[in-house]
Amino acid sequence: MNRRSFLKRTAAATALFTIMPRHVLGKMGGANNYIAPSDQLTRGIIGTGGIGRSNLHFESDQNCRLVALCDVDQNHLDGALQMAKSKFNETPKAYHDFRDLIHDANVDIVHIATPSHWHGIMAVEAANAGKDIFCEKPMTRTIGEGKRVEEAVKRNGRIFRLDTWFRFKDTFYGMGTDVKPLKKLVDSGLLGWPLKVRISGATGFAWKFYWTGKENLEVQPIPKELDYDLWLGPAPYKPYNVHRTHQTFRGYWDYDGGGLGDMGQHYIDPVQYILGKDDTFPVKVEVDAPQQHPDAVGIWRSITYTYEDGCQIILEGEGFESQGKVPYIEGPKGKVFKGFECTIPNVMELINEMPDPEQRNTDFLECVRNRRQFALNESNGHHSATIVNMGVCALRLNRTLHFDPKTQLFVNDDAANRLVNQPMRGDWGKMI
Amino acid sequence: MKKIFLLITAVLMASLSVMAQDARQRTVETIVQDALALMPVQHQNDFNREMEDLAKAAPQSVQILAQMMQPAEKAANNLVEYAISGVVAYASAHPQYAKAVLNGLTVAAPRAADVTAREFLQAQMRLLGEEDVTYGKHTGAATYTALYDKLTSLGANAAPEVLKAVRSKDRALRMEALKFATDHQLADASLIQKVAALYNTSSTDARVDILNWLGDNKATGQKLLLMRAAIQKGEVGAAALEALGKIGGEDVADVLLRQLGGANDAAAAAALRSFKGDLKTKIPAAMAAASGAKLLSLLGLASDRRIKAACPQVIALCQAPDTNISNAALNALAGVVTTAESAQMAELLDKAPAARVAAYQKALAASVKAQDAKTQFTTLSTLMKGASQQARFYPVLAGTGTDESVAELSAIWESGKAEALNALLKSTNAKALQPLLKAAKGGNQEALAQCITLVNNNIQDLDERATYITQGLELAKTSAIKKTLLTGLGNTPTLPAYTVASRYLDDKELAYTAAYALKNIAGKCVDDIDYQFMKKTLTQASGIIAAGGSADDGYAVDEIKNLLAKEEPSPVFELPEEEKAAGYEVLFDGTNMDKWTGNKEGYTPVNGTIYVSANYGDEGNLYTIKEYQDFVFRFEFCFVRPGVNNGVGIRTPMNVDAAYYGMCESQILDHDDPIYAGLREYQVHGSVYGVIPAKRIKHKPLGEWSYEEIRVQGDHITVTVNGDVIVDGNVREACQGNNVAPDGSETNPFTVDHRNHPGMFNEKGHIGFCGHGAGVKFRNVRVLDLTAQQPVKKSKKAKKNKK
Repeated sequence: MNRRSFLKRTAAATALFTIMPRHVLGKMGGANNYIAPSDQLTRGIIGTGGIGRSNLHFESDQNCRLVALCDVDQNHLDGALQMAKSKFNETPKAYHDFRDLIHDANVDIVHIATPSHWHGIMAVEAANAGKDIFCEKPMTRTIGEGKRVEEAVKRNGRIFRLDTWFRFKDTFYGMGTDVKPLKKLVDSGLLGWPLKVRISGATGFAWKFYWTGKENLEVQPIPKELDYDLWLGPAPYKPYNVHRTHQTFRGYWDYDGGGLGDMGQHYIDPVQYILGKDDTFPVKVEVDAPQQHPDAVGIWRSITYTYEDGCQIILEGEGFESQGKVPYIEGPKGKVFKGFECTIPNVMELINEMPDPEQRNTDFLECVRNRRQFALNESNGHHSATIVNMGVCALRLNRTLHFDPKTQLFVNDDAANRLVNQPMRGDWGKMI
Repeated sequence: MKKIFLLITAVLMASLSVMAQDARQRTVETIVQDALALMPVQHQNDFNREMEDLAKAAPQSVQILAQMMQPAEKAANNLVEYAISGVVAYASAHPQYAKAVLNGLTVAAPRAADVTAREFLQAQMRLLGEEDVTYGKHTGAATYTALYDKLTSLGANAAPEVLKAVRSKDRALRMEALKFATDHQLADASLIQKVAALYNTSSTDARVDILNWLGDNKATGQKLLLMRAAIQKGEVGAAALEALGKIGGEDVADVLLRQLGGANDAAAAAALRSFKGDLKTKIPAAMAAASGAKLLSLLGLASDRRIKAACPQVIALCQAPDTNISNAALNALAGVVTTAESAQMAELLDKAPAARVAAYQKALAASVKAQDAKTQFTTLSTLMKGASQQARFYPVLAGTGTDESVAELSAIWESGKAEALNALLKSTNAKALQPLLKAAKGGNQEALAQCITLVNNNIQDLDERATYITQGLELAKTSAIKKTLLTGLGNTPTLPAYTVASRYLDDKELAYTAAYALKNIAGKCVDDIDYQFMKKTLTQASGIIAAGGSADDGYAVDEIKNLLAKEEPSPVFELPEEEKAAGYEVLFDGTNMDKWTGNKEGYTPVNGTIYVSANYGDEGNLYTIKEYQDFVFRFEFCFVRPGVNNGVGIRTPMNVDAAYYGMCESQILDHDDPIYAGLREYQVHGSVYGVIPAKRIKHKPLGEWSYEEIRVQGDHITVTVNGDVIVDGNVREACQGNNVAPDGSETNPFTVDHRNHPGMFNEKGHIGFCGHGAGVKFRNVRVLDLTAQQPVKKSKKAKKNKK
C-alpha cells in the first residue's frame, strides 16, 4: 500500500472514529508531541534555486517532512540535497523531471518554486494527480493558465495555497502595520467610496526595476549542468544566454513580468482583500510606459486599474513616483498615508472599537488535513494574479484595455485575448 | 547601434525597389528608417503616431523590417524587434491595417534568417489572428474530476448530486461538492435545509464540514442546529461557534457568551472578537454574573471590543482578591477607560503599588486618547502637578508625542531627574533627538538607539541624516546598534554615507550589514561616486554578500553586477582642434586638480568631473592657481541635486566674497527649483551678481550637461549658455562708475543690489568656483588668456580663427 492510498483510507476511517480534533492538530509542533508517520504530511519542492531553497521555505519537521526535491539544474539539485542533509539529516528523493516528483506516491504537497512560466502546468498536473499545492507567487504567467489552475484545483477537490501572506500577516511594507486595521477602516466606510489605492515608492512600495531584461543577448553555450530544454518547457525556444535563467529570468516576458511580476501580487493581493474585490476583476487597465521590447521587460511610469464601481489601484514605477505627501488609500471622506497616518482623527481608537474582520483559515497544514479552503487560494489568488497579468498585457500592447469580469476576457481586443491564452511549445499545452 | 541598421537598410533598398510614399513624400525606406531611429518610443501618443506611419506603409514596411532581422548569434535585432512588435500591437487595435501587416509578416517569415527570427515573426503573426491554440484533454483522478464535471454539467440542477457527495465518507469529495455549491450560488434555503438534515446521521468530520459550510453561506435559518452543536465539545463545537459568529444576531451573541469559560472558550472568544453586532450591554451584564475562567475571558473581550460601559466593573475588579482576576482587570483597563476616568486613573497611578504602575500608566494614557495631542498634554500635566509621585507621569506625558512634552521632560531632566530621560526614550517626537543625543554623548547607549529610530523616521534631509548617523557610529559601543546605524546609512544615498559605510567592510561582525548598505546607497546615490573607489568597495561587498548564501543574497549580488556594468568612467578631456590652435589651456581634463588651489576637499575629481560636495563658506571655494586679466573661460556644468547654488568668481583674490571683493561673480544657480520662487532678477543663473541681471533661461533636467562660456575683456563681460547669450554688459557702465557709494555709506544707489562692490575694478585675479553646497559637477574646464595672447593676436592666429 502506498502512502497516498493509506491517507485516503485514513480519511475514510475518520467516519468511524476521530483520530484527532482539529484544534489539537493545530497545536502540534512542540518538540514533545510525537506524531505518527501516518499523520505526518509530506512535501516535495520543485525548483531549488532561489525561493525554494530560502530559509522561508526549506523546512522539514514532524508536521510536514520534506521528502522530494526536483530541479533541472544539477548544481541546484545537488546543493539542495546537501542542505537537506546538513539541516535536517534527511535524504529526500531527487528528481530531474517534475512529473516524477508530482507522481511520487510519497508526496502529499507539491511546492512549486520555479519561474512562473511553469506554475500553471505544474499546478494543474499536481491537482490532477490528487496532490495539494503550495505555489509561489505570481500564481500564473497568463490569465488563461490561472483560470485553468482554479478549475483543476476545484475539479479535483484539492487544497491550494498561493504563497504571499500580507493579506493575513506581517507588516505590510510602507504601512508599518499588518493589513487588519486597514481592512477594518475600509469596511467601516469612514473613508467613503469609491477608493483609490496608490502603490508607489511614495507610499512605501518598491517596484524592483532592476528586474529588467537585456536586448540583443549574445548566444552562449548551455552549461552542462542545466537541462535548458526542460527549463524552457512551454516557453518559446530562444538561444541560451545566462541572463534568461536563474533569478534574472524575471526580466523576460516569456517567463515572468519584471518587477511587476515579482512584486505585483505581494502588493496587490492585500489591496484586493482590503477593497473586498476577491470575487471580481478590474474592468479597465491603463498604462503609461515607454514602448516595451517583445522579449525583454522594460520599465513603466504608471499602471492604473479601475473597477466597475470606480475603485482604482494605481501603480507608480520607480523614479516616477508622485511628489510630496501622497495617500496610500484615498476616499471621498478621508486618506491614509504611509505609516498608517490618517486624516481621520483618533483613527486607531475608532478601529479598535470595530469588530475584527471575518475569521479565515491561515494554517495551510490544518487546511490540508481538514480539507478547508486556505485564506489565499486558487480563487482569490487567481483574481490578484489576473490584476498583475492585465497590466502585463496592457504594457505589451501599449494601450488601454477593457476587461469583462464574467468571461475573464478583454473586450473587443483579439490581440489582448491572445495574450490571455498563449500557445505552448511542443506538447506542453496538452497538460493544461 | 542605430548606424549599423541604417547601413543595412541601405543595402536592402537596392534589392527592394519600393516606391510607395506617404503624405510627407517619404519613401517606405525613409519611413522605416525614421521609425527605427525613434525606437523604443517613450510615450503612447508618439508610439501611436510612429506605428501608424509604419502600418500605413505595410506590407512593404513590415517586409523591410523583417528582412533586416539577423541570425541570433549577431545579437543585434533589438530595434527591429521593437518596430515589428510595435506595428503589430498597433495594427491589432486598428483592423484597417491588420491584413497588410500580417501579409508582410507572412511573406517574410519563411525567409527569416534563422529559427529564432522565424519564431519571433510567427509569434507576432499569432497576435494578428494567424494561429489558433488548442488545448489537449487530460485525464485526472477519476472520482474527483467526475464529480466536478457532473456538477458542472448539471449547473443549477446540481443540488441533488451535491447532497449525494456530502454523504460520502471521502472528506475531499465532500468538501469539493460543498465548495462547488458555495461557488455556484446553489446554497439556497432548500439545499441548506437538506444539507443540515444530514447533520444528525453524519460522522464527526462531516458534521464539522457541514457546520463550516453553513457558516460560509450565512445560513440564518439553521441557527438552532448551530446553537445545539455549539455546546458540543471539541471541533464540532468550535466549528459551530465560528459559523455562528459569521451569521451574527442578538440571539447568537447570547450563545457565544454562554460558551465562554468552558471547553469551547477559545472558539467562542474568537467568534465574539469578529462578531458584527452590539455587545455594549451584553458584556457588562454577563460580567456581573460571571466568575473564574468566564470572567477572565469577558475581561479580555471587554477590552478588545472597547466596551466602555464595563469600565466601572473593570475598575472594581482591579481590587479583586483573586490575583488572576485582578491582573486581567488591570490589563483590560486601557481598553475601557474614557476621558471621564482620567482623574481617577491619575489618582490610582499616584497611589499604586510598584507592580501596578505600568498598567495604570497605560490606562491613564488610554483615557485621554480621544483628545487631540495638545489637549492630552495639558490634561496630563495638570493631573501630574496634583500628584505626589510625579515621575510616574513622565512616560505618559512622553506618550503624547507633543513638542510640549519633550520641552517639559527635557527641562525636568536638566533639573537632575533621571526618570525624565527614561520617559524621553519613549517619545516618537523628533524634538527628543537633541536631549537624547546629549545623553548619548554622555555614554547612554539606550538613548543612542532611540536617536537612530528618530533620525530614521523623521530626518528627511539626506545630508543631515548622514551626519547624525556618522556621529552615532562614533558613539556606538555594541554591534547591534552599529548594525542598525549602518542599515540607516543604507537608506541615505549620498557620497559621505557611502564613504562612511565603506570603512566597515573589514570589520568581521559588521561587514555584511555594511555591504548591503553600500549596495543600497550605490543604487540610488544622489552624488557621483568615484568609479574606481566604487568598483573596489562594491566588489568587496559583493563577495561578503555572496558568502551569506540565501536567495536574497543572490539577488543582491546580481544588483551589484548591474550597478558596476552601468557606471563607466569618462575619457580624458582633450581640447578641440580649433581651441588648441587658439591657445586655450586645459584647467581640468577629468583626472587631476593640479591647476587649482583652495578647497580641494569639497571639489574632487570624480569620474571625469569636478564634483562639488562643498558646504557654504568662503573658505570652501576653489581657485585657479594662476591669475587672469582678460580671458575666455569655457566649461560644462551639470546639476545632480535640485536647488544648486554656485558661481564663477572673476578677477578675485582668494578667500573673500568674489561678488564684492572680486571683479564680480557670475551666478551658477538652479533657479527653476521651487525654493527660489522669490528670486530677484540679478540673482538668476548667469547674472553678474548684484550688478547686471541675466536673461532667464530654462535649465536642462537634472543629470544633463550644459555648456557655458564667460568672456571678460576690460569692464565688459559676456555670458553664453548653450549658445544663448544671457549677459552682455559693462560693469562700469552698469553702476555709472560708482562701484562704491560716493558718500562712503553702506548703501550704494548705483548698483542694483544697493551694495558696494569694492573689488569691481580689480586689474586681475583668480577665477574661482564659489560653492554654496553640494550637487553640481563641472567638466572640460579650459581658459584662453587674452592678455597673454595680445602680442600674437594681430598676426597669424587672428586669421586662423576666421576660418
